[in-house]
Amino acid sequence: MPKSQFIDPREVRKSGSISFKDIPVNQYNKTIEEEKENYTKEDFMRIFRDMAIIREFETMINAIKTTGEYNGIKYNHPGPAHLSLGQEAAAVGQAYLLTKDDYIFGSHRSHGEVLAKGLSAIEKMGDDELYDIMKNFFDGKILKIVEGRQKNRSSIKELAIDFLVYGVLAENFARETGFNKGLGGSMHIFFPPFGIYPNNAIVGGSADIAVGAALFKKINKKKGIVIVNIGDGSMGCGPVWEAICLATMDQYKLLWEGEYKGGLPLIFNFMNNQYGMGGQTCGETMGYRILARVGAGVNPEQMHAERVDGYSPLAVIDAIRRKKKILEQKEGPVLLDTLTYRFTGHSPSDASSYRTREEVDAWMQEDSLTSYRSSLVEAGVASHDEFEEILENVKELITSTCSIVTDDNVSPRMDLVKDPDAIARYMFSNQWVEKMEDRECETLIPREENPRVQQIMKKVRTGIDENGKPVPKNRVYQLRDGIFEAILDKFYTDPTLIAYGEENRDWGGAFAVYRGLTEALPYHRLFNTPISEGAIVGSAVGYGMCGGRVIAELMYCDFLGRAGDEIFNQLSKWQAMSAGLLKMPVVVRVSVGSKYGAQHSQDWTSLVAHIPGLKVVFPATPYDAKGLMNSALMGTDPVVFFESQRIYDIGELFHPGGVPGGYYEVPIGEPDVKKEGKDLTILTIGATLYRALDAAKILEEKYGVSVEIIDARTLVPFNYEKVLESVRKTGKIVLASDACERNSYLKNMAQTITEIAFDYLDAPPVVVGSMNWITPAHELEEYFFPQPGWIVDAVHEKIMPLKGHVPKTNYTPNEQLRRNKKGI
Amino acid sequence: MAVPVIMPRQGQTVESCIIAKWHKKKGDKVSAGDILFTYETDKATFDEEAKDNGILLDIFFEEGDDVPVLTNVCVIGQEGEDALIFNPHTGKGQGDAGDKTGKADEEDTGEGIKIYAKRVWTSEDDEKAGEDDGKAGKGEGEAGDDGETAFPVDGLAGDKVKISPRARNLAGKAGIDYRYARPTGPGNRIVEKDIIALMEEGPVFTRAAMDDSLKAGEKAIMPGAAEGTGIGGRITTCDLERVLEKLEKTIVAESVSHAPAPAASITSIAPPPAVQPGLDFTEMKLTTIRKTIARAMHNSLMSTAQLTLNTSFDATEILEFRKKVKQNKDKLKLQNITINGIVLFAVSRTLPGHKMLNAHFLDDRVLLFNAVHLGVAVDTERGLMVPTIFNADKKSLNEISAETKILAEECQKGSINPDLLKGGTFTVTNLGMLDIESFTPVLNPPQTGILGVSNIVTRVKEVNGQYIYYPAMGLSLTFDHRAVDGAPAARFLMDLKANLENFIILLSN
Repeated sequence: MPKSQFIDPREVRKSGSISFKDIPVNQYNKTIEEEKENYTKEDFMRIFRDMAIIREFETMINAIKTTGEYNGIKYNHPGPAHLSLGQEAAAVGQAYLLTKDDYIFGSHRSHGEVLAKGLSAIEKMGDDELYDIMKNFFDGKILKIVEGRQKNRSSIKELAIDFLVYGVLAENFARETGFNKGLGGSMHIFFPPFGIYPNNAIVGGSADIAVGAALFKKINKKKGIVIVNIGDGSMGCGPVWEAICLATMDQYKLLWEGEYKGGLPLIFNFMNNQYGMGGQTCGETMGYRILARVGAGVNPEQMHAERVDGYSPLAVIDAIRRKKKILEQKEGPVLLDTLTYRFTGHSPSDASSYRTREEVDAWMQEDSLTSYRSSLVEAGVASHDEFEEILENVKELITSTCSIVTDDNVSPRMDLVKDPDAIARYMFSNQWVEKMEDRECETLIPREENPRVQQIMKKVRTGIDENGKPVPKNRVYQLRDGIFEAILDKFYTDPTLIAYGEENRDWGGAFAVYRGLTEALPYHRLFNTPISEGAIVGSAVGYGMCGGRVIAELMYCDFLGRAGDEIFNQLSKWQAMSAGLLKMPVVVRVSVGSKYGAQHSQDWTSLVAHIPGLKVVFPATPYDAKGLMNSALMGTDPVVFFESQRIYDIGELFHPGGVPGGYYEVPIGEPDVKKEGKDLTILTIGATLYRALDAAKILEEKYGVSVEIIDARTLVPFNYEKVLESVRKTGKIVLASDACERNSYLKNMAQTITEIAFDYLDAPPVVVGSMNWITPAHELEEYFFPQPGWIVDAVHEKIMPLKGHVPKTNYTPNEQLRRNKKGI
Repeated sequence: MAVPVIMPRQGQTVESCIIAKWHKKKGDKVSAGDILFTYETDKATFDEEAKDNGILLDIFFEEGDDVPVLTNVCVIGQEGEDALIFNPHTGKGQGDAGDKTGKADEEDTGEGIKIYAKRVWTSEDDEKAGEDDGKAGKGEGEAGDDGETAFPVDGLAGDKVKISPRARNLAGKAGIDYRYARPTGPGNRIVEKDIIALMEEGPVFTRAAMDDSLKAGEKAIMPGAAEGTGIGGRITTCDLERVLEKLEKTIVAESVSHAPAPAASITSIAPPPAVQPGLDFTEMKLTTIRKTIARAMHNSLMSTAQLTLNTSFDATEILEFRKKVKQNKDKLKLQNITINGIVLFAVSRTLPGHKMLNAHFLDDRVLLFNAVHLGVAVDTERGLMVPTIFNADKKSLNEISAETKILAEECQKGSINPDLLKGGTFTVTNLGMLDIESFTPVLNPPQTGILGVSNIVTRVKEVNGQYIYYPAMGLSLTFDHRAVDGAPAARFLMDLKANLENFIILLSN
């Protein structure tokens, strides 16, 4: 909500109409003769060769899936195979002009796009560069295999083609020698050195990731464009719309300044094979009739939308040539509707019962390989014999590659017996990287001149003054100040760092954490987004995997659901699915609310802690908040950073000397003993810490029970040592947080403690969480969120009867059973 | 209104009874006076009668269940009434018919889940319960340092000692048999501090003794029973053996004495012979009483050095005396004085002069009793029972006769107070009416003597050179040679014989 733009009611209330430009549909109509000025014979033939490689590759996989054999090679492939037979021209046409600096993202049906993009990149790279890539990739492991086996290849380019086909196929068949060590598989193959970025098994999943990649290129002034290949079916996916919205924000052209002004270098390319699963997108499941129409409704440029005939490689090349120019002029993004057809089903198990044989036959009649070849023969470019020779070579390439990929001795799978951590080691990259790139950080004012920094300088950095009295709220250094300081520091250290969310700029961020950042940062480093939580997180994933550091903010933790796929499937998985090729220096900030009822007051730490690949932290003090944010921003792993709205204004009550002004880190994964005691341990997550302190007071003063309090600070990873040490001492532990009790992460902790410290336990670990209800109105919250009295009652009922204690809540075993029986 | 039927308390020392048989089924109509169920202690069997008319709404325990006394066993009420609130397995206090929770939601209380909630219920909660039936199912009773009842949380407390892993660990390290600990944790769980308390107060074991003690099971639990002779007062295996032996004796002393050692009860401990196919037999399960007798008899013969001296006395005078009493009993308002009563009286007056036979032998020491507590063997349908006439030496013949009669009747009926079935210092058993001339009574350890009384036969003796016929009554004294030698035992018999033959003089003393 920039003040620079005045929304004039007289302007916006004026009557008028919106006019649209025509959207071109299949307008390419050049002959081979005409194209001869653009392509040499070798170019024409290479286009055919690349299409033939894809055709043979997919044919081979189809044969193996359906008959268990290809050219005498017997093999069983139980994994997925979403084939792009029929779509070769669209893939090769798109890749033809792209270099390694242009990134493509794909879908579950992207074998063809990957091969085409790789072949195109190889064609444009010099031998030395190619050889270096092959030599350095996984220590030359793949190179050694293909170099040794296929001696008949005479050039480095041919060797690189072997390398490419081998890496893709080995990845398909889950070999450790695949491009992603078999951890990606058919639907996720990628190879960044050739500009091939992840394909995504979630329909439309690449859309918002690609927006992040385009942002990375734009903000960090990188060469090249980004093309995201998604299917026509994905036009029905919310995150794809969100991605389109995020990619077409007015601010790029109206508010971003200087060289950053202008649209994103991004093409949303819909590989329109006209079916989304079993649904016909045109005529049945969507309403656009022609997909390109959608561009008309997005922005005044109509996203430069166009339908192109994806059965003609030259038509697609022509379209990409024109669209690339638009992107270079910063007029992007572009929407391309590349019409094509898949000959086979969605997957081998699809009997294509939703379409007729006639329809499939009709499209096969116009098969791009046949028609392109005929047109070249007709135009006298080459003879049939030359094409036959190419086909023979291609068959030999695919056959020989298939035979070495299916040979377990040459292409083994990960040995999880010998190396049980083979997958585990890729879950986190655990690196300490101060800045993702080394260059000047773009900021608007020196750090010291920042009004927030000046305000904080006047604050008392401890929560208790020298007389032991609490420092008043308006004078105390608060938890939100801790988060701010860490983030501001990083903006002055790491030039790639950007932050965005729905109210990040001008507003000052949710709960005033970012107050002061607007003054410090140009638009391209701190900006507002549409209300598109999915795309906010998804684009952060793309920005991170391309090599930038990013803080995405979702305001309320309750909105995690809106970004479900992006957090659960994308943010968490790409480091491991890439076998360590990608890093994910992304911090997602969410806050746990209160006062706002059922959809704005939930602690969902347990949901994210359940998903492998995410680090999850939840600081409860200013010292920890700053230290953990520093660690999160220094690392290369995705961190879901939980904050509690209840305690944004709390001062530092624990750390001696208060919160340091300089840089320090609180290690992620280390709990902290906030108070020592000897009879009972209370382990808390988040803001519950302060209620546990109140409970400890009651237990100590009224019942003489000495309580030790440990703040988990982090959920994943978690070092249990301090907790176990405490439990060995006390023998008793209560675990408390604001998460609903059922399936709370505390249950996991309780279970672990029970297993490891069983012989030291004098009572079962008891979890005190919120009720398994909706969060009620603020006035009723004391019946929902754990209170100090609840902890005391739980201790009395389950751990140690407290003499004379009269419980107010019901922690009896049969009440527990009753609630479980009722599901409440 | 539905009323619960509780397991009665039979004597102060009885903690639980076993339901032997149900005479009514759930849903049966019952009238006041109908027998609902039969239950047993280890010493006696009793019938519980209905006190109300109505329907037997629910039964909470099955035959064979060991039910703590004062616990609700079943509920009588009218059709449609809620019996669940009385169910001791679902959270109500023991024997408490009061309905504090009132609004207990039947579905919610989780039928069949054996849980007792332990917490303090206040009037405040009562109000709350009225508003919020979600809080249903709470029990009451206070646990803690004041030592009041803490209810078992999962109904297992009777079968298995509950202990926290930490407490078990500490007990193991310290050589403590944790079963001696007094549980203070939730649901009667032994927790660390209970072990610490035990370390300060209770027996500490050597590792080996600890293992033996655990193996010995429930019977070895008797706080303070063992005195350690090991390092630092630790209880050794030897100490433990001694304790276990003593415990066996106590069990016997507390349960049964007697006499005609039936061959069957002795051989019953041998492994049962393999059953020949085709043999016609009926298998009869041993009652608790039979098992107790069997164990006691066997233990007696195994653990003492008993032998029997036989003699007889001239019963002319006591028969004459009895005849006279019989003729005048209404006039003198006397009881029916029996021969047995006369013998008991004579024994009670003879024993004070032979203290080693009015004693308990305890391995390293002997308890000599000043008063005579006479055990009297009574044959009942259920088996042998031995009620005690306490302070028999202070009671008149008339009183002894009257008390013997009442005790015998109560034993027959099965209504005898279990407290009266123990505490004897000497036992008399009489098979005279069954025409037995002589037998070897079996000692009731730790008692040191038991007297068997046989029938009267006519014998001849020489008096002043003349043979005369006289009624001779047999006496058989079994004594523990560990405590008493033959001659002193014989002297007791001589004195007893003299007292019986000169009964009038004895009476006039």
